[in-house]
Amino acid sequence: MKQVAIAGKGGVGKTTFAALLLRYLQKNRPDILLLAVDADPNANLNEALGLKVDKTISTILEGTKDPKAVPSGMTKEMYMEYKLLDAVVEAEKIDLLVMGNPQKSGCYCYPNDLLRKNLEKLRSNYDYVIIDNEAGLEHLSRRIVSQVDLLIVVSDSTVRGVRSAARVYEIVQAVSLDVKAVYLVVSKTTDTEVAKLQEEIAKTGLELLGSIPLDPLVAEYDLQGRPVVDLPDDAVAVVAFSKIADKLKL
Amino acid sequence: MYAADVGPQYEGERIRKNEFQVEFGGPDVSHKGELVTVKGLGEVEHEKITVSGPDLKDLPEGFSGPLFIKVEVAGEELEKDLEAVLERRIHQYINYIEGVFHMAQRYDIWIRIHKNSFKKGLNSLEQIGRILIDLFTAELPVIEKMSVEFITDPAKVQNLLVEALKVYKERDERIKGLREEDVDEFYGCVLCQSFAPTHVCVITPERVSLCGAINWLDGRAATKVDPEGAQFAIPKGNLIDLVNISYDNVNQVVTERSMGETTRFSLHSALSYPHTACGCFEAIVFYIPEVDGFGIVSRDFAGPSVTGDPFSTLAGSASGGKQNEGYLGIGIQYLTSPKFLIADGGFNRVAWMSSALKEAAVENLPPELAGKIATEKDVQNVDELTEFMQNAGRL
Ligand SMILES: Nc1ncnc2c1ncn2[C@@H]1O[C@H](COP(=O)(O)OP(=O)(O)OP(=O)(O)O)[C@@H](O)[C@H]1O
Ligand code: SF4
Ligand SMILES: [Mg+2]
Repeated sequence: MKQVAIAGKGGVGKTTFAALLLRYLQKNRPDILLLAVDADPNANLNEALGLKVDKTISTILEGTKDPKAVPSGMTKEMYMEYKLLDAVVEAEKIDLLVMGNPQKSGCYCYPNDLLRKNLEKLRSNYDYVIIDNEAGLEHLSRRIVSQVDLLIVVSDSTVRGVRSAARVYEIVQAVSLDVKAVYLVVSKTTDTEVAKLQEEIAKTGLELLGSIPLDPLVAEYDLQGRPVVDLPDDAVAVVAFSKIADKLKL
Repeated sequence: MYAADVGPQYEGERIRKNEFQVEFGGPDVSHKGELVTVKGLGEVEHEKITVSGPDLKDLPEGFSGPLFIKVEVAGEELEKDLEAVLERRIHQYINYIEGVFHMAQRYDIWIRIHKNSFKKGLNSLEQIGRILIDLFTAELPVIEKMSVEFITDPAKVQNLLVEALKVYKERDERIKGLREEDVDEFYGCVLCQSFAPTHVCVITPERVSLCGAINWLDGRAATKVDPEGAQFAIPKGNLIDLVNISYDNVNQVVTERSMGETTRFSLHSALSYPHTACGCFEAIVFYIPEVDGFGIVSRDFAGPSVTGDPFSTLAGSASGGKQNEGYLGIGIQYLTSPKFLIADGGFNRVAWMSSALKEAAVENLPPELAGKIATEKDVQNVDELTEFMQNAGRL
């Protein structure tokens, strides 16, 4: 099992990148089983994958503290295990879990601990776990998601974007997250931009893995509400992603 | 020896929708359940396995439907009280089977059988029954006789469920009535030591954890699942203080686990050796000297409490894993405990509660007191509270 986490500031193209990655693995490695985790409270990975979601982990965490939600005689251990499996959206070779809204005030130490243990158990069933994070890296820093093999920090092709990618990298280092490798991907680039950003990128200390150009088809799919995973093989973004995949030896 | 491999390594195995041959129960099937009944030695036919209704091999691939598992056991030393514990083992042992998962319990079970295991020959529920009987009798020698019946006939499942629901309910009533005196073991939790390094939670049948997430049954389950984990058993030892309710071995364990910071816990007092808090409490009990009584405020109460201090200020006094007399962090369900602050006078000592908490406590409030405890709707400050208490004849 390999865990890939995708991070970056709002709107830079994280979810699109996650969907491109899932699309790639789905098409090129038909033998493997994927778990997509949407860890952004503003969840929309499901749309990029063309899946419908009606249960979130956040509701389960709240349930573990509501005596009326847990069926009588059922322990919270069991409740968590059961509800977590129930919340998994099952599609062809891809399953999806959605974290949902952050918790209301109050202590979630125990529910989160249960979640952590059960996620560990669950993820061992998959070959790849792909996590679309929110900008603050909440779930990573609270260790709900641990042992990340690959962290991809996405930036858009602006100086500001690259600087905020640097800050994400700083958080990762500051809280000494359990991450094996970190790379930068610049998204929504036009022809000459990456070259101009070189200097800024060098300052971040992040290794540039590649870029995903601004693809009018991605924008069009977005407008029409069509899932990113349905993009054709010759779409600019899809072709660009294959290069990244080659580099990562996916 | 069996059609599918069996062992703890298969626990946690997930079988996906397009992988199962047959699914029983689960969120989309309304009738399902399992029940273990302890019977007399003469009443159980040992190793009898029955399948009532269509068996695995009779069901179409991808079938999803009802199932009831009826287990009867007998043994010289078996007690009725063990039924729930034994039922939990059905969950554990079915998960030991390669390519089979089992979720939850009672009327909520969910089972999936993988196509591969089916192809390998796991094509009858009888085989699962065989495995269950072998594991139960091997691991629990107190079971001398055991029979298993799998019912897939929808009408029969429905009838059995009606009967089983009555049994579950009776069991719950017994558990609800469980008191500290009835058990030998309490449970501890040190999960929050990551930020309050000397804090220990003690959880008893009459004292839910202050975060509200762990009750005595959860504690028992957690220590069974992972004895080395953050939750652990505390054999309670001897009651050394009848008034404040303090047990010698609880104090011993608290001393060790708090690194010597706290050496004594009164389990039901906010005034004398109170239980410490990490900061996770759902509500805070605080002493108001002017009325010689308590106020209780919950985390979601906006604005100042009756003393003028908001929850956040009070929280500062109650947390950090240090005993601070007059402050006690609690889980909201503690308000319904028969031992609620019994050492300090229980609700007789409560002067003010936020109205939401009063609502939560209502079943446990002595009727004659209900109108005599003020809320934010009655009084705004301690002066008004004093007057309220005088008018109520409590001061
Ligand atoms: N390569 C691309 N070409 C064109 N448009 C893109 C590309 N990548 C992303 N977009 C568009 O940019 C917008 C934001 O992308 P996306 O949702 O992937 O970003 P995000 O980082 O996940 O955002 P959020 O922080 O809101 O979750 C979307 O409208 C998306 O269609
Ligand atoms: S507050 Fe809850 S999670 Fe924290 S130590 Fe107590 S029981 Fe454990
Ligand atoms: Mg996104």
